Amino acid sequence: MKKFISVLLVAAMCFSLTACGNKAAADSDSAAIKANGKLVVGITDFAPMDYKDDAGNWVGFDADMAAAFAKSLGVDVEFVEIDWDNKVLELDGKTIDCVWNGMTLTDEVKSAMECSNAYCNNAQVVIVNKAVADKYQTVDSLSELNFAVEAGSAGEAEVEALGLNFTPVKAQADALMEVAAGTSDAAVIDSLMAAAMVGEGTSYADLTYTVGLNSEEYGVGFRKGSDLAAMLNDFFKASANDGTMEACAEQYGVQAALIK
Amino acid sequence: MGTLIVCPDLYIIGDKMFAEQFPIVFNALNVGFLQTIKLFFVTLLGALPLGLIISFGSMSKLTTLRSITKVFVWIIRGTPLMIQLLIIYYFPGLVLHNPIWGGGEGGRFGACAVAFIINYACYFSEIYRGGIQAIPQGQHEAGLVLGMTKSQIFFKVKLLQMIKKILPPISNEIITLVKDTSLARIIALQEIIWAGQAFLKGSQGISGAIWPLFFTAVYYLIASGLLTVLLGALEKKLNYFR
Amino acid sequence: MPILEVKNISKQFDNTPVLKDISFTMEKGTVLSIIGSSGGGKTTLLRCLNFLEIPDKGKIIVNGEELFDGEKNKTFTDNDFRLRRLHFGLVFQSFNLFPQYTALENVALAGKLLAKERPDFKTNKDAIYAEIDESARELLTTMGLKERMNHYPHQLSGGQQQRVAIARALALKPDILCFDEPTSALDPELTGEVLKVIKELANNKYTMIIVTHEMSFAKEVSDQVIFMDQGIIAECGTPEDVFDNPKNERTKKFFTNY
Repeated sequence: MKKFISVLLVAAMCFSLTACGNKAAADSDSAAIKANGKLVVGITDFAPMDYKDDAGNWVGFDADMAAAFAKSLGVDVEFVEIDWDNKVLELDGKTIDCVWNGMTLTDEVKSAMECSNAYCNNAQVVIVNKAVADKYQTVDSLSELNFAVEAGSAGEAEVEALGLNFTPVKAQADALMEVAAGTSDAAVIDSLMAAAMVGEGTSYADLTYTVGLNSEEYGVGFRKGSDLAAMLNDFFKASANDGTMEACAEQYGVQAALIK
Repeated sequence: MGTLIVCPDLYIIGDKMFAEQFPIVFNALNVGFLQTIKLFFVTLLGALPLGLIISFGSMSKLTTLRSITKVFVWIIRGTPLMIQLLIIYYFPGLVLHNPIWGGGEGGRFGACAVAFIINYACYFSEIYRGGIQAIPQGQHEAGLVLGMTKSQIFFKVKLLQMIKKILPPISNEIITLVKDTSLARIIALQEIIWAGQAFLKGSQGISGAIWPLFFTAVYYLIASGLLTVLLGALEKKLNYFR
Repeated sequence: MPILEVKNISKQFDNTPVLKDISFTMEKGTVLSIIGSSGGGKTTLLRCLNFLEIPDKGKIIVNGEELFDGEKNKTFTDNDFRLRRLHFGLVFQSFNLFPQYTALENVALAGKLLAKERPDFKTNKDAIYAEIDESARELLTTMGLKERMNHYPHQLSGGQQQRVAIARALALKPDILCFDEPTSALDPELTGEVLKVIKELANNKYTMIIVTHEMSFAKEVSDQVIFMDQGIIAECGTPEDVFDNPKNERTKKFFTNY
């Protein structure tokens, strides 16, 4: 019995250590990265922000900007695909240095990470089947629908705040799938994604988007207390001034959403 | 599968589009499956011998060693492999401030291999223990009176009898392992399910395609089918004695 | 000089005495039978001689060499006991053949493993192995198993298995060959073939200790008989003395009930 108790105590200590760990992680991130010689960027496959080109290299508006930022610091850039649910764990566990992947700056994100200034606008839009789209052009008309939303996403926060019926699913793509399959009436996803995935000429030709819920902004997340967030803000400012940011955005068709 | 009937064009997407998708998906799934297979073999290579060592610990005459081993096996078998993966991968960076694994693919694979080897070794150790204890004491004593050393008795007398006894339960675990490798994606090891799921979310110009995910099942079926045949043949080979 | 001297052997299991101060001697080339009711300590005595159990007290002396002394045994390693076991052979009630080996391999295995300890093993390996195989074949032929050498134990009858086990014990040329109720696990029609083999060994002057319930066999084959009861030697003497003129009350009672 004594052994069992000591095992439990050890486990408890591990968890308390974890809690302490978060606070202590901050002594000059930029120095650590320079010593390491590379900036490890946590991403998911999310066109047009981060995706692989035909040669298998990571490209996209976020990927190109991240590479430019690393270059400005004098280090290499390394892209690592992560499980989006574990992004804070990956940061705190130091397996990545930042999350740079069209991340919506929600209150949860801002409290868990050191975030850069917003660099891109986004909105949460309602996706329904084309045939019924006319009926759901206002927020008030949505109450009779059953929604599918990505668990933990900004879309989920929106439908929750509006008191709508919803089912959380694993990814935004799953939410679209639900609507296409008829298992849910509607979904809420990012407008940037909706533009790429829904409507004529896409896999979801029968779907369309109607109401825009709140608008929101994308930012880059670093470890809590990291000095890199401020350095990135300076870098953003400089690239906006010399026009390189705009040029990069045009390359991936997101210039309209850019925050200048 | 009901959804297939509701909206068939979504999944089959017309022959032409499917034909365009298939090579891309096939290639990506093969790359993912290579990781799956790699993890599978590395786990077996590590866990089969480590399990034997742990089983000796759990049968040791030294009470302390026996208790420590039993508590360890209890912890590993009593917690989900998914949690063990998360702890082994994130714990060094989170708590010790020393992310030994790094963020790259190699580090993730290393952490997976360690977690899987430890986990499966504990399961194997209990099977070994059962197998060793099922061998009649008379076999051990016959070896002793013939002047054999303990290790000679184990390797020359008991081992093959033990292998024969444990082969069915071990086969079971091995086939479970093929499928358990899919848990590795919790720390973003890009095995075959990850590769299949990528096309649902959108990757290489294909998005919202659910068939690649379902298609991964074919790979698992082929792998477990081959293993079943192989292990069955081995079992048959050991039928020459009773 | 007697081939075996057992002096004051005692053994307890969980504070229950099983052997109490057992002493006896036997001469080379003789057969000693140990009889008595179950639980009398016969098998434990045999297991003590083979160091499958370690006596608490007493001495075991073979050919004048002291193999064991209860006062000193604390310092013995596994290997000390292993080498001492080689003075004795033991044939078990339940044969305990190795199921994954043929009859021939069962007989030759231990010899081949022991050969590795010989200084000339590396240079002469093939010759040594051939020699061991050859003598194993001869032994099995004497046991009447010439045609069965390459059979696995499960392909042999109980009587055949026990004969293989006897050959296996003989292969190491022990000073004293022990039998622990060698026919108790056999069907009655199969006991004869095993007893016949043991009789032949007695005729060839092998030194043997036989724990048995076969009274007429014990009487016929033995030079000396020990009757054990409740952990002590109740009676010891020639077969005629013990079977025909028992002096001890317990021995008398045993034969009446038998």
